[in-house]
Amino acid sequence: MARKHREIGKAGWGYTAVASVVGLIYFFPVLWIILTAFKTRTDALAVPPKLFFTPTFENFTSVFYRASITTGSSQATDMGLYFFNSIFIAFTSVGLALIVGTIAAYAFSRYPLKGNDTYLFIILTTRMMPPIVVIIPIFLMFRLSGLAGSYWGIILLYTAFNIPFSVWLVKSFFDELNPEIEDAARMDGATERRVFFNFCIPQVLAGLSATFVFGLILTWNEFLFALLLTGVETRTVPVAMARTLGGEVGVDYGLLAAIVTLFLIPIFFVTFLLQNQLLRGVTFGTVKK
Amino acid sequence: MTIKLNKLTKRFGSLTAVDAIDLDVGDGEVLCLLGPSGCGKTTTLRMVAGLEAATEGDVMLGGKRVNELAPRQRNVAMSFQFYALYPSLSVADNLAYPLHAEKLSGAEIEKRVAQVAKTLQLESILKRTPSQLAEGEKQRVAVGRSIIRDPQCFLFDEPLSRLDVQLREEMRGEIKEVLQDLSRPTVIVTHDQLEALTMADRIAVMRDGRIEQVDTPHNVFQSPSNLFVAGFIGTPQMNLIPATLKGSNGDGLADFAFEGEQSLKIKVDPAVSKLSPGAKVTLGIRPRNLEMSVEPTEDSLSTKIDMVEPMGAETLAHMHDGYHDLRLVTDWRVPLSEGDLMHTRFPPDTTHIFTEDEQVLRSAP
Amino acid sequence: MADTASTKGGFGAWLLDPKRRGALLVTPAILILFVMNIFPLLWSFGLSFFNYKASSQRVPRFKGLDNYGDVLTDEKVWERFQTTAIIVSSSVLLQLIVGFLLALLFAKAFPMRRIVLMLVLTPMMLSFVSVGVFFKLFYEPTFGVVSYVLNMFTSEPFVMLGSPQGAIIGIVIADAWMWSPFVMLLVLAGLVSVPKYLYEAAEIDRASKWRTFRTITFPYIKSLLLLAVLFRTIETFKLFDIVYIITEGGPGSSTETIAVYLYRTAFQFFKTSQSSALAYFVLFIVIVLTNLYLYSVNRRAEEVN
Repeated sequence: MARKHREIGKAGWGYTAVASVVGLIYFFPVLWIILTAFKTRTDALAVPPKLFFTPTFENFTSVFYRASITTGSSQATDMGLYFFNSIFIAFTSVGLALIVGTIAAYAFSRYPLKGNDTYLFIILTTRMMPPIVVIIPIFLMFRLSGLAGSYWGIILLYTAFNIPFSVWLVKSFFDELNPEIEDAARMDGATERRVFFNFCIPQVLAGLSATFVFGLILTWNEFLFALLLTGVETRTVPVAMARTLGGEVGVDYGLLAAIVTLFLIPIFFVTFLLQNQLLRGVTFGTVKK
Repeated sequence: MTIKLNKLTKRFGSLTAVDAIDLDVGDGEVLCLLGPSGCGKTTTLRMVAGLEAATEGDVMLGGKRVNELAPRQRNVAMSFQFYALYPSLSVADNLAYPLHAEKLSGAEIEKRVAQVAKTLQLESILKRTPSQLAEGEKQRVAVGRSIIRDPQCFLFDEPLSRLDVQLREEMRGEIKEVLQDLSRPTVIVTHDQLEALTMADRIAVMRDGRIEQVDTPHNVFQSPSNLFVAGFIGTPQMNLIPATLKGSNGDGLADFAFEGEQSLKIKVDPAVSKLSPGAKVTLGIRPRNLEMSVEPTEDSLSTKIDMVEPMGAETLAHMHDGYHDLRLVTDWRVPLSEGDLMHTRFPPDTTHIFTEDEQVLRSAP
Repeated sequence: MADTASTKGGFGAWLLDPKRRGALLVTPAILILFVMNIFPLLWSFGLSFFNYKASSQRVPRFKGLDNYGDVLTDEKVWERFQTTAIIVSSSVLLQLIVGFLLALLFAKAFPMRRIVLMLVLTPMMLSFVSVGVFFKLFYEPTFGVVSYVLNMFTSEPFVMLGSPQGAIIGIVIADAWMWSPFVMLLVLAGLVSVPKYLYEAAEIDRASKWRTFRTITFPYIKSLLLLAVLFRTIETFKLFDIVYIITEGGPGSSTETIAVYLYRTAFQFFKTSQSSALAYFVLFIVIVLTNLYLYSVNRRAEEVN
C-alpha cells in the first residue's frame, strides 16, 4: 500500500499519542494530588515519592469523620457544613446575579441607552478590579451593618461580584440573535414581555446555562472575600482548605489532598461540558471566537 | 506536459464523490469541468492539485504518477474560488509569493511581478492590501498569482463565480486571453455553462462523480451524448418529450406517439431501426430549433401558448398541449400572444432521440 | 393599554414609559453594583483623607492628601510594585510561550482531541487555593516531587521556597501553569479563524513553514495575543491567593505582591486609611489597563467583520 500524504490540518492516532503525553505531563499536578488523596500518611510522606501504592479511602472518610481522642467514637467534622455552605452560597448568589444580569444584558443589547458604553465599562471595571481594593470598605460596611459572618452578607456580595460577568457574557449571547425575528413578532402584535420570554430567552438558554455554570465555578473558587467575610457558620471550602494548610500541627497532606480532590470533582464535569464556551466564559464574552 | 487521470476515485466514507474517471488534458489545452454543485468537479481538481488524496486510481502529471506527492512537490498553480489572497500582504507581495520557493533574486522577482502586473493591469494597485480591492481586482490578482510561475499545470476553481454579471463577462474575455498564452494544460472548474462554452477547448460534463461527456464546446452543445448533458447545457433548457416509437420503415422515417392524441413522423438516424416498435424514447429539441408552421403537418406538434417572455432580441414562449410543456425561442418580431394555437415542426437534423437508458441514439460518424 | 396608563399619569406610568424601559431594566443591576461596589469605593475614597484605623476607637482626624503622599514616598510600596511587576511580566511571558506552543499542538484535528484537550484546560478552571495546595505540596522540601527531582542534581538539599528568587520562580510557575491554557484558548481561536484555503494556497505556492506562519498564521493571531497579554496582565496584577497559600509573601517580603501588601496593611496592621489610598492607585492602574483591553477588543471586532 502506497503512503498517502495527509490533508492539511488533519492528524492520526500517532499525533493523539504525542498530544496525550503532553496533556498528561501538563495534568500531572492534578493527578498527583488525586493520587496523594488515596495514600496513607506514610505513603504520602515517603521519600522518594511513591507512584505505586495500595490505595486507601481513609483520607476521604476522615474529611467528614474523625475519631475522637477521648471516647474513640467517630465524630462528624465541620467539613460537611463547609461543602454545604460553598454549594448553597454559590447557587443562591449566581442565580440572583443571573436573573438581574440577564435583564440588564437584554437592555444593554436592545435599548441604546445614553452612555451605554460608559455603563458597560464601569460594570466591567468592577469585575476587573482587584477584590482587595473593594474589600477594605466592604469589610467596614459589613462590620457596621452586622452582615459579616452571615449568609446574607456573603450572598449579596457574591451576587454583586457575579453581575458584571453575567451582564457581559449574556449580552454577548443576546447580541448574536437576529433582531429581525423579534421585530417580526412585534409586528404580529406580541408585547415586549412576550418577545423577551417567548423569543429571546429560549434562544439564549444554552448561553444562560453556560453563564450560570461559569458563575458557579468563579464563586466556588473564590477565596479572599470568603476569607474575610464568612464566619464559623458560613465558612466555605477554600477558606477551610487554607486553614487546614496553615494548621498549627504538621499539615496532613493526605487529608488536604482528599478535600481538594472532592472540591475538584464538579470542575472536571463543568470543564468538559463547557469546552466550546470556555473561551467566551473566561473572557467575559469579550472574545467570542 | 499533460494531465492524465486514470480511474480516479474519491470516497468520503460511504459517499463516492468521484467515481473512476478517466481524463486527458494536453499541453496548452484548456479543459472545463462543468457540472451542477456536488458533482465532484472540485474534488477532482483538488486531487490533481494534491489537496485531496485519491482513494483509488492515478493522477499523472507529465507522464509521472504523483499520487504520493504533496501539493508543493507537484508544482501546480491553482487559483481558488475565494481567491485565497493573503490578507496581510500587498498585491505585489501576493504576486511574488509563489516565487520565493524558486530562490530567485530580488530583482528577478520584481521583474516578474511587473510583467504580470502589466498583463493584468494591476500596476496601479500593487501597494494595496486585498481588503482594499474590488472583487474584479481580487480575481485578477488571484489569476496573476497563478500565472507568475511556470508550473506543470494551471488549475482554476470557479474563477468567476463571485463576480457580478457584467464583471464576469469582462473577466471571461480577459482570462481567455491569458489562457491562450499559457503553454501548459489548464483545468477550469465551473458550474456556469456559458463560462465553459466560451473559455474551454474541451468540456467535461460531470454528474454524480462521473464524466457524462467530454468534447468540444460545439459538440457538447450540438450533439449531447445523453439526456443529462442535453438537459444541462443550453438556456433555455432543451425540450425533452417522452414518446413511444410506433414504427420505423426503410425510408428512414419513424413514427412517434405522444401521450394524448398527437404523433410525429420525422426522418431519423439509421440507428433507430435497431429499436423495436413500442420502445420508450425521449425526443429532444432546443427551443431555438423548433420551426413554426402555419398548418399542422406530419412532423409537427400542436400546442397552445401559455405565457410569453420577451428576452430582448428574442422571445421565449411557453406552450402546452395538455400533456407536455414546450419552449420556443424566436425572433422578437414574430407576434406571439397567450392563447395562440401553435404548430411547431421538429427538423430531423436537430432532433435528438434518447433511448430508455438515457443514451443518445446516433450512429457513429 | 399603554394609552390609558399614560393618561392616568402618576409615578407608575412615568416609570413604565417605553422610553425609560431600557434604563428601568438595568436599574437592579446598577443598584446592586452601587451598593456593593461603587458606594464602598466612595466610602474608602473618603477614608483615604483621614487617619482612620479599623482596629481603634479613636475619632479619625482629617489628613488631607497626606496618605497619598505617604504611599508615593514609601519605599516599601515601590518594592511591592516591583515584585508585582517582576511576577506579572515573567508569568505572562511564560504563559504566552507555553500557551502558544500548546495551541500549535492542539490546532490540528486528531482523534480524541476533545478528551486530551480536557487535560490541559482543567488547570484554568481550578481555584487558586487548590493550585496553591498542589504546588505547596510539590515544593515541600522533604517529600515534595519538585524538591526530590532537584535534589538528584544538587548535592545540598534544595529548598525551593527558601530563597527570594526560588520563591518567585515557584509562584510564577504555579500561576503560569494555571493560566497558560487561557492563552492557548485565545491563540487557538485565532488559529481556527484562519481560512483553510489560505493554507492550501500557501501549500500550492510552495511556501516554507516559516513563511506560512509569518505571512498567514501570525496576522490572524496577533490581535488575540495582544488581548491575551492585556487580560492576563490585569488578572495577574491582582495575584493574591496563590501567594497567600504558597509563600505568604515570604521569605521576608520577597514575594509580597501589591495585593498581598494591601491585605497586610488593611487587615493585619489595620492601617485602613493608608491602604485605601494605595487601593486607589491600584484601581487607577486597573482602569487604564481595562480601557486598553476594551479598546483592543473593539479593534479586533472591527477587524473580524
